[in-house]
Amino acid sequence: MIKFEQVSKTYPGGFQALNNVSFHLEPGEMAFLTGHSGAGKSTLLKLISILERPSAGRVLINGHDLKRISARQVPYVRRDIGMIFQDHRLLMDKTVLDNVALPLLIEGYSMAEAKKRVHAALEKVGLLDKVRHYPYMLSGGEQQRVGIARAVVNKPPLLLADEPTGNLDPKLSMDIIRLFEEFNRVGVSVLIATHDLGLIARLRYRTLTLRDGRMINDGLQEN
Amino acid sequence: MSLLFRSRQQGASQVNISKLQRFVMFWVHNVQQALASLGELLRYPLASMMTMAVLGLSLTLPATLYVVVKNTESLGADWQNAAEITLFLRKDLTQQEVDTVHKRLSLSSAIESVRWIDKQQALSEFKEQSGFGDALAALQQNPLPDVLIVTPVAAQRSAAAARQLLSQLQQEREVAEARLDLDWLTRLEAILAVIRHGLSALALLLCVAVVLIVGNTIRLNINSKRDEIMVMKLVGATDAYIQRPFLYTGIWYGLVGGVIAWVATALIIWWISGTVAHVSELYQSQFRIEGLNFSEMMVLWLVAIGLGLLGSYLAVRKHVRTIEMT
Repeated sequence: MIKFEQVSKTYPGGFQALNNVSFHLEPGEMAFLTGHSGAGKSTLLKLISILERPSAGRVLINGHDLKRISARQVPYVRRDIGMIFQDHRLLMDKTVLDNVALPLLIEGYSMAEAKKRVHAALEKVGLLDKVRHYPYMLSGGEQQRVGIARAVVNKPPLLLADEPTGNLDPKLSMDIIRLFEEFNRVGVSVLIATHDLGLIARLRYRTLTLRDGRMINDGLQEN
Repeated sequence: MSLLFRSRQQGASQVNISKLQRFVMFWVHNVQQALASLGELLRYPLASMMTMAVLGLSLTLPATLYVVVKNTESLGADWQNAAEITLFLRKDLTQQEVDTVHKRLSLSSAIESVRWIDKQQALSEFKEQSGFGDALAALQQNPLPDVLIVTPVAAQRSAAAARQLLSQLQQEREVAEARLDLDWLTRLEAILAVIRHGLSALALLLCVAVVLIVGNTIRLNINSKRDEIMVMKLVGATDAYIQRPFLYTGIWYGLVGGVIAWVATALIIWWISGTVAHVSELYQSQFRIEGLNFSEMMVLWLVAIGLGLLGSYLAVRKHVRTIEMT
């Protein structure tokens, strides 16, 4: 699903965020990406969603080289990737319904059709009763779940999460991970970046570990 | 429309929207986005009205000047149509000869009417009006000639035809001098040309100002929505989709600004028409200043909308693309 071939990323100014990183995430696989702050986790995710372009090496999604994707095509690639952020990036002046419906409206759904799918997505994350609420009325965990609903509402084959549990307590964090597991069970590939090692330790998933831009461990975390 | 996953186009559970539905929804979304940006403007009515007023009032000045020039031109055309040729007759003519030439000219096919100003009558009028009565009484004979004022038929009233008629009349035996006063008309036309040129320059300048003002307003608007634009980019919105609401905002500015320009121009015309009526009364003329007609109003409106759209287009082109995720 996601394939990195000797990928390096150097930012203007000389900081090397990724150094010769290679790995392959199979379709339908769920994996964690871990490492200290500044180890290159966010950069790696940005390369997948074409928020950044690699300085060297190739990034492939489903066999397609992202180098061949022109700037005009980038939005269409992003429609295939559900992205979740630590700060969830919700629009505070729009209702939960409008927030989650955004990707669908962009794709050209009618509001009626979009509403149906939004309801289905909110039901999955257990927030169907909060459709008319504004994000600021919700707790941190609920806001994060709205973010997840928005990421999955158009059923992308790939989910990327950048510190999705960063601000949440362990129980809520586990709830979020369980949600990802549910999506993974229906065939969605999931890549979760986190530095919450305790969380990873309780689950037995493939873990990619970055340190100073290098992939130092690719496999099951032993504990 | 998935680039990376062919299979996403198929399957009932996947994205499955027909071409027709996309087309229809494209327009439905356009209308929705247009109304949404109108709603956005209504949320900050004062700020929106200020931008619209700037746009409208900037266009009012050239529109008003245009109306003034248009009316002056029609006034000039009126006077040109009334081109009259003044014939000063030789002083040694007898009364009978004067009558003869008067009659002969009246019968000419190029001439509509001939008016005779009797030299005796003219002298007494001059005495009364000029205040030189005593001085003139000292004169032994009337210094004024008989005068015929010739009005050409409608077809002969253009400047060129009138000139030709003038040279014909000069050939007449009884005529000492013939005069067609077109000089002032030529001068008026030259002055109007200067004003028209100045007007075009001014209009151009104000249009550029309007584009810059709208562009700057939209730029601020884009900056205040940075977060929203970022999120939209994250979930796969194309630049065109993101730009559209701002373009509609520009169109709304133009729509309302154009109406403001109409109203302001009409008010100014109404304001000066009182004085113009007074002046034309003094000249015993029926002249009435004429405001913008329907097609001119439409042109003004289109210009306003076009400028609003252009300003916002320049702003979104430059700024929406540069907003990238951090």
